Amino acid sequence: MTTHKSEVLVIGGGIQGSSTAYHLAKRGVSVRVLEKDTVSRHASGVNAGGVRLLGRNLAEVELSKTAMERWQQLDDELDADTGFRARSLINIAADETDMETLRSREQQMHELGYFHEVMLDQHELRERLPHVAQHCIGGVVSEQDGYAIPFHSTQAFRIAAERIGAIFCEGEQVQSIRKVGDSWLVATETQKYQAEHLVNCAGAWADLISVMIGDNVPMSYSAPMLMITARMPHFATPVVGAVSRPLSFKQFENGTVLIGGGAKGFADRANNTTRLDYSLLASGAHHAIEFFPIMKTACINRMWSGLEAYMPDNLPVIGKSIRADKAYHAFAFSAHGFQLGPVIGEVLADLITEGESRFDLEPFRVNRYERKVL
Amino acid sequence: MFRSLNDKENQRSLINLTINGKLVTAPQGQTVWAAMALAGETSTRLSPVTLKARSAYCAMGVCFECMTEINGMPNQQACLFEVKEGMDIRFQEITEQTSLLNPSDSVSTLTENVGGNHD
Amino acid sequence: MINNIETPSINNSYDIAIIGAGPAGMSAAITATKAGARVVVLDDKPRSGGQIYRNVDASPLAKPTVLGADYLKGSEITAAFKRCSAEHISSVNVWHAGDNGELLFSLEGETQRLTARQIIVATGAMERPFPIPGWHLPGVMSAGSAQVMLKSDGLVRDGAVFAGTGPLLYLIVAQYLRLGVKVKALVDTTPKQNYLSSMSEITGAMSAPRMLIKGLGLMNEIRKSDTKVYRFAEGLEIQGEEACKGLSFSISGSKHEIVTEHVFLHQGVIPNLNMTQALGLKHTWCEQQLCWTPETDNWGQSSQGVIAVAGDSSGIVGAESAAAMGRICALRQLVNIGLITEQQADHEAADDLRFMRKQQHFRRFIDRLYRPLDQHRKPTNDQTVVCRCEERTVKDLKQGFALGGREPNQLKSQTRCGMGPCQGRMCGHTVSELLAEWRNEPVADVGYYRLRSPMRLVTLQELSRFTNLTPVSTVDRASSGTSDSDVEANKEQELAQ
Repeated sequence: MTTHKSEVLVIGGGIQGSSTAYHLAKRGVSVRVLEKDTVSRHASGVNAGGVRLLGRNLAEVELSKTAMERWQQLDDELDADTGFRARSLINIAADETDMETLRSREQQMHELGYFHEVMLDQHELRERLPHVAQHCIGGVVSEQDGYAIPFHSTQAFRIAAERIGAIFCEGEQVQSIRKVGDSWLVATETQKYQAEHLVNCAGAWADLISVMIGDNVPMSYSAPMLMITARMPHFATPVVGAVSRPLSFKQFENGTVLIGGGAKGFADRANNTTRLDYSLLASGAHHAIEFFPIMKTACINRMWSGLEAYMPDNLPVIGKSIRADKAYHAFAFSAHGFQLGPVIGEVLADLITEGESRFDLEPFRVNRYERKVL
Repeated sequence: MFRSLNDKENQRSLINLTINGKLVTAPQGQTVWAAMALAGETSTRLSPVTLKARSAYCAMGVCFECMTEINGMPNQQACLFEVKEGMDIRFQEITEQTSLLNPSDSVSTLTENVGGNHD
Repeated sequence: MINNIETPSINNSYDIAIIGAGPAGMSAAITATKAGARVVVLDDKPRSGGQIYRNVDASPLAKPTVLGADYLKGSEITAAFKRCSAEHISSVNVWHAGDNGELLFSLEGETQRLTARQIIVATGAMERPFPIPGWHLPGVMSAGSAQVMLKSDGLVRDGAVFAGTGPLLYLIVAQYLRLGVKVKALVDTTPKQNYLSSMSEITGAMSAPRMLIKGLGLMNEIRKSDTKVYRFAEGLEIQGEEACKGLSFSISGSKHEIVTEHVFLHQGVIPNLNMTQALGLKHTWCEQQLCWTPETDNWGQSSQGVIAVAGDSSGIVGAESAAAMGRICALRQLVNIGLITEQQADHEAADDLRFMRKQQHFRRFIDRLYRPLDQHRKPTNDQTVVCRCEERTVKDLKQGFALGGREPNQLKSQTRCGMGPCQGRMCGHTVSELLAEWRNEPVADVGYYRLRSPMRLVTLQELSRFTNLTPVSTVDRASSGTSDSDVEANKEQELAQ
């Protein structure tokens, strides 16, 4: 049996893996992506498509800001239609407590020199979202935010990467990983692969790959639930969230409204399936109507959830392996990695070709939960 | 034109409803689609992408072509609903280009009546 | 019945939930309640009977006899169904069924939830899509729709053209003629070669002589009328830009065009499989019937423990076999929940199992004879609409295929084909067959859409109001099957949080 050789082997054909392949190929690095199902089959293809800088954890702000710059040019760069639209994102404040939360966040952000989150009073909120319920008293907006079509975005990276020489192998589930000498040897059911560098972008299955590489990680996985409506008259241009309620929706150009909110169903990753929690979805429906009475006329067309990886602190793992040389991780984005896709590929390409990244990756260390020896 | 062979029309109590603003009577138990067809109002909706009028295809709940607006609620399958007194049935015009960004555009009537079709 | 297996009693759950009140669902309910099971039947129509016996007890026609003896016979089973103790919830949209025995449905503006230890899916058949140029235009309907409109509302359409192939097409034309409704033409697309190839199954046809005679009788009725009949037609196309203006076709190379504003199309029926697919049951491609069917054993048992599939939703079997299958499924599930023994089930199912085997021979003949033309299932014209909801044409699908949409779900994500409200009902089979052709691989390897709940549109408001439904009364197993079905259902109000 021949062994397929490349300089870099990426495990996982989601947006992070595809973006990494694209950025490596752009630098002339030979790269191969192993995907156990099909590219963008899981979270990268079926997430809510939010392209969000608003409300980011401080550790992620720099990455997210750079990613947002990339998104504005991404269609041109990849010569594809990712469906990205900068529509702004507004988090709604339902009461004075919410407003207080927003004020302290604003102060914190300003102190750090970030000014992309702008508070809105009730009047400004209503101007931007004419159908918002009367009781909503304000909010916060990030102007560059918006949405993209996840399946198209991930495919765009893949197709662009393939155009410049990256190879994607679908239906290839990794069974074993060994480091022999300077090389990584990876075996699937029928094939063998060899590479100098190994990248773990395996999403909800990344902890399994991590262990094969030699890094233990307290990752969990779950099934965030989404629903989409039949077309509605256009009533909301910005993407909508709420400061303290599980509400999130966006209306696409075709009129359909995607409703998220973070409620989780049940994940069965061994069988590639999820089960939905309908009573939780009912509660989400209740919030949507409460904030936007026009949503009474919404008709749900589909409900689904993808398999998503989480870390206990809801921050991703990004960076070099601790135990193994020339192995790298980018996973567990905890349901907010889609927006970061364009920059994560750059970060990994930098780590591989330059040995370092210009971003502070300390908060994303794979071993940040390992017990310290006293 | 569709016509009715319903010989028992006089025995079944009649229901008053409006279809696209037109006052119509229909025997109890009749489907909304049948009432529309007999009233000559066979267009059910505007197709959302190419903006062409569509009409019922299967009349048994499968094709979703007969989605109309019933009592302000869009996407109601006319072939699955029976007529009810006072029902307001309208040609559905929600397409990719429909906008309600200005809330004064008839949205108040839209939301206030919602749910009325279920009694 | 003797309950000789220890089973726990769960008062707030049903023993068996049946989805669909056609011949399969009704007979399953009758059989199950006789054995003392707590049964609920959910159906999307106002009255029981399914499509086949639609409105058999409340026909709008003065002389329902024109609809035929086979139709009228349905009142026997609807009467028996009404007498049995099953709770019948009608006009309800069952939008979720889970392999854990959970059912969600919207009724009177809210979502109700019930649990059952076993589920029988009996959602029947739908007509096979007929994707030809212009089939989406107003004025074009399915022949089944003509029959539904006739049965439920006494609605007819004068001067229409009926086109396609299959017993239902001839039946509705004959019914129209009996009622004095003018039929402009019957355009029969059954190809010559089908008459020849079906001869190999003629012994099967002979096994059900009554049905064969009925079929021939219908053709005779039509031929004796002054209705123009075109045979061996192919290349059907609807004419018109905004609405149907005519039907064109060719017969052995010569072109024909009929001016008409109304065409009824039909090329057989296929299982209504949205529920079995959304349940995640294993399906296989049936080459004999050119459709996906859920995998079941002889007892209707699916690949998921608590779910059985009966009647046409398991593969097209026809009304009588559907009723037999309903009884068989119920017996199996009665064994599963310990209300009867395996020996009792074997004994009681013997006749029905034998009947069904015999019917299968006849079905093979029918399927061979009325096998629809490839060109009417796998459209080649770039402009032909495949997905009616999202208005995606053959050309759009070809582009999606070129961009990597090689499998139905990828193609759907790529093009939105199948993403509309009908959930792929009108395009799913076409997409499977087209992709198979483009990939030059068997349809079985291409697969079907991954479907999920809701199986029908559900309003956000209905979803936000969430209550639990429990059985009306606990069944006294000793005095099996005597409780009143018309008692208003108990509803346990429980606001979802």
